[in-house]
Amino acid sequence: MFAKLRDRPGKGVEDGSDETRDAEVPRPFLPRFAAVVILQVVGALAGLLPLLAVVEVGRALSAPGPADREHVWAAVIVGAVGMLVRLAFTSASSGVGHLLDSQVQLTLRRRLAAHLGRVPVGWFSRRRTGELAKVVGEDVSAVHPFIAHTPGELVSAFVVPLASLVYLFAVDWRMTLITLIPVVLAMALVPLMMTPTRLREQEEFDAGMGRIASSVVEFVLGISVVKAFGGGERAHRAFLTAVDDFVGSFLRMVRGLAGIAAAMQVALSPPFVLLVVLTGGAARIGAGDLPAADLLPFLLLGLGLTAPVAALGHGFDDMQAARRAVGRIREVLAVQPLPEPAHPTAPQGHRVELRDVRFGYEAGHEVLRGIDLVLEPGTVTALVGPSGSGKSTLVRLLPRFFDPTHGSVTLGGVDLREIDSRELHRKVSFVFQDVRLLRTSVADNIALAVPHADFDDVVRAARLAHIHDRILQLPRGYASVIGEDAGLSGGEAQRISLARALLADAPVLVLDEATAFVDPQTEQAVRRALATLEGTRTTLVIAHRLETIAEADTVVMLDGGSVVERGSPAELLAREGEFAAFWQAQRSATADRSGAHGGVPRGGRSR
Amino acid sequence: MIRMLLRVLGHEYAGPVRRTVALMTATALVEGLSYALLVPVLRALFGSTPGDAWPWLYAFGGAVAGYALLRYVSDRSGFLAGSTLLRGTYHRLGDHLARLPIGWYEGGRLGEVSALASRGVLQAMAVIAHLLAPFISACVTPLTIVAVMSAFNWQMGLAASAAVPIVAAIQMRAGRSMAATDRERHERDHEATGRVIEYLQAQPVLRAGGRTAERFRMLDDSLRDVRRASRRTALSALPGVVGLALAVQAMFTVLLALGTYLALGGNIGAAELLALLVLAARCADPLLSLSDIGGRLRGARYELTRLDEVLRTEPLPVPADPVQPVLHDLEFESVTFRRGGRTVIDGLSLSVPQGQRLAVVGPSGSGKSTLLQLAARFHDVDGGAVRLGGVDVRAIDPDDLMGRFAIVFQDVRLFDGTIEENVRLGRPDADEADVRAAATAARLDEVIERLPGGWSAHVGEGGARLSGGERQRVSIARALLKDAPVVLLDEVTSALDPVNEAAVHEGIERLMAGRTVVMVAHRMRTVRRADRVVFLDGGRIVEEGSHDTLLSQGGRYAEFWDVSLTPAAGE
Repeated sequence: MFAKLRDRPGKGVEDGSDETRDAEVPRPFLPRFAAVVILQVVGALAGLLPLLAVVEVGRALSAPGPADREHVWAAVIVGAVGMLVRLAFTSASSGVGHLLDSQVQLTLRRRLAAHLGRVPVGWFSRRRTGELAKVVGEDVSAVHPFIAHTPGELVSAFVVPLASLVYLFAVDWRMTLITLIPVVLAMALVPLMMTPTRLREQEEFDAGMGRIASSVVEFVLGISVVKAFGGGERAHRAFLTAVDDFVGSFLRMVRGLAGIAAAMQVALSPPFVLLVVLTGGAARIGAGDLPAADLLPFLLLGLGLTAPVAALGHGFDDMQAARRAVGRIREVLAVQPLPEPAHPTAPQGHRVELRDVRFGYEAGHEVLRGIDLVLEPGTVTALVGPSGSGKSTLVRLLPRFFDPTHGSVTLGGVDLREIDSRELHRKVSFVFQDVRLLRTSVADNIALAVPHADFDDVVRAARLAHIHDRILQLPRGYASVIGEDAGLSGGEAQRISLARALLADAPVLVLDEATAFVDPQTEQAVRRALATLEGTRTTLVIAHRLETIAEADTVVMLDGGSVVERGSPAELLAREGEFAAFWQAQRSATADRSGAHGGVPRGGRSR
Repeated sequence: MIRMLLRVLGHEYAGPVRRTVALMTATALVEGLSYALLVPVLRALFGSTPGDAWPWLYAFGGAVAGYALLRYVSDRSGFLAGSTLLRGTYHRLGDHLARLPIGWYEGGRLGEVSALASRGVLQAMAVIAHLLAPFISACVTPLTIVAVMSAFNWQMGLAASAAVPIVAAIQMRAGRSMAATDRERHERDHEATGRVIEYLQAQPVLRAGGRTAERFRMLDDSLRDVRRASRRTALSALPGVVGLALAVQAMFTVLLALGTYLALGGNIGAAELLALLVLAARCADPLLSLSDIGGRLRGARYELTRLDEVLRTEPLPVPADPVQPVLHDLEFESVTFRRGGRTVIDGLSLSVPQGQRLAVVGPSGSGKSTLLQLAARFHDVDGGAVRLGGVDVRAIDPDDLMGRFAIVFQDVRLFDGTIEENVRLGRPDADEADVRAAATAARLDEVIERLPGGWSAHVGEGGARLSGGERQRVSIARALLKDAPVVLLDEVTSALDPVNEAAVHEGIERLMAGRTVVMVAHRMRTVRRADRVVFLDGGRIVEEGSHDTLLSQGGRYAEFWDVSLTPAAGE
């Protein structure tokens, strides 16, 4: 933006490796891409013909004696044809370029989407969705000038002046050199823009712009806080400070660059070029060195010689932006997808075993430090522990959001890494904290994991999750579309997501209790639903409710990424160790509720 | 365009903008006029006394110097105006956003507004800083040249003038037809962005169904719609671009043929003709650039329109003579509130005496949170009135009103800053001791101890480096520090694990002491401490009374209470 200062020098143009080029123009499109460039170049060259026609007319008319009428009219016709050719070819180039561009964008977006569908799920939580969406959307769009405009324009910006130069040298080489004076002057100004001070000003400008973008997002997202605490001015101070800083750095940059930029613009402007050519021409014609008619080509074609410098400046910002965009696209495409087994093995049964599992999101900081754990089919294992003990991370290893950095997770005796990912997802279903409903019908949302489920099954799952009645109240029942005519509250959305997991009916169920039960009714509904589904199911639950803990077959207490205690609830309580202390803390925290219930846990459930 | 720009920016900026436009016009005029001097120069050079060209050349040199100076001044003015406008627009937008009702931000608005504010504003300002000058020059310079031509030879001038209305008509037509396809394209882009975000956020679920990109039809459909729309845009732009080029080139061809005809008939001198043809070439180039500039201007115009829409959204009306309530009892009188065609609150009346606690209980979707939002005037009611201390909230100055509420939401957002800064937001002028005391009371001190950097630990964007419970403690500390007479709590503890819940409860108890409290709660133990409970369903109060009364009535509330105490199903 404010790209009028676009003539500013580049900050190290990145190398164009094969991969980069592939991200710009996928190979199948190369022939069409070449056609765009060639059409544009031919068209631009044809554009020289009308100018040459004027030169010829001028020569014929200013020649002594009567003008050669036929020659003159022939030149006029050639000029007219040249214009038509230019029109046809550049239009064709532009048309093909834009169509190609939309196709390339679609291909790139599909490729990105497909790739993102294969990277580890865990990777997303550390990348902001907005940023990624920007890569798929805006960044792919920013590649546009690479394909539809700039290459053709850049190539013709060099080919056309080069052709003109050859012609002009043939006419008069000294005059050609004079005509080049403005270009040389403009180039001489470039180093002035690259002094350390200037470069620092530009960096500050870029940084300031980045700060504005992030502070505005912060400000808007935090608007409820801004409002709740009144005094708007105070609360968005950070935003306004960023604005003022940015404007300050912008003004500093302008003050430093404005003179040079204007000088450069003027040096390349038509009036100045004409002045130089005419002055040189007048001197040489006066001295008798140059026939007057030979001045014409320089007046007409000479202006075109500034095109490369202007085009360099002009296309530069767009190209830089496109390069940065391609860089970000490449970065996403370079993320290692979760490796798929070459020869997948089918798990036998659904006993889950973790053996010496270690995991860290960053090197040198382990979140799980050697976990050994067996989850037997038909049992419920409750995971407890203080926040930050690694519970959420541990449960996410089961649906393979991440692979452990050390050790292994096996399902039915097979390492998860050896199981086909689709098979794995059929075996392991989960209900985690963030509920995502898609903008599609309620029925589709429930059937997400089982696309070909019978409608009856969908309804059964909805009933189990205690959401069926609410769905029937929606304008179009199960056909109502989320976000359009189905406005559901948070608790209702959670029940839909629960119905989803119930319908999937996977033999291994992983759930995080914290938000699974948002109100007492849902909590009870969930308990009922789960009870009907137990049996041979393997269940791992991050437990927060005393009731859940009391009824689990096994309780595993985590602290600092290690298992500190495990056993049946009654055993652990009797041991009077960390779990017992934890239990007491919980009991006092929920003292009012446990008046009537939740005394001493019974060992396991009666079945 | 300029008019909309000025409306968006506010008319106090009209001066600098007009001055800049005037300077740019003058620059383009001087450029066009300076070309007139080419005619005598060439006449002399092509004649028998080339030396006669020098005085004209000096004059031309003078004109070019004038042009250079004007260009420098107008560029500079463009930059300065651009940066002043940028600053002004941001401040205006910032202030306006802070005044809009919170209800306005629901749905997809947040993302839209932040995109608009970060990219849209910059794009709009780019209009002034670097599109305006080329645009003015591309219009004014050719017109001046046509006038110059007419002065030297009326036939050539007439032929060139004929092109003016044609070019203008083509530009306007192209602009109109593009506006429609542009809008469609933006809509498709917007739709696709939504789908991409959905696709990314729903990855775990989508994979469970084996629906990676190839099979996620909804995303692919919208990506294909984007392609279709962008093709349509490209194709609908083509007639304008081709038409403009055709018109300009036809003009040049006509001038070339006409001039040749005139020269061969001896009606115009060779030197004159050549000079006029050089001028015609100078006319053609800027005209051809019009379609490119036009496209960019349309892009900026789109952003400006959206900016204009946001700035024209009415904030909640501010009372002319604000009343300051003395007491802090809350009263809802026959309040009705509708949103999206649905009645969320339906003729509800209730009152909370000063210093008392009201608990609001009910199934999800019953309007509990909306009730809190109406109390703090996040929205205005559609019927009835909300009163604080007997004064309609609409008659209280919004800042004053907000100052009287301490609100703790279920989902807490923190600013990217230190913990201390986030707490201090409650009362920026609080002294060190007060801030520490609030933190201790909210049991935030134990969190601070654990964090590297303690008080000055950064919380990350939106508070991402803290857990939900820790963020909640920050927000309670903030509310404690604020020390407002009315406290609103929205499902504060529903998403917390018991350890955090216990800590948060302690803070909440301190926060509620001696204040008027309205709390939405699922956790029944909070409810039990309330002076009164209302059970909401479908936006109406279905039961009302003290905890014990309601329990003994054996109605909906009692059912709710029982359910919450039932330890497990099937036992």
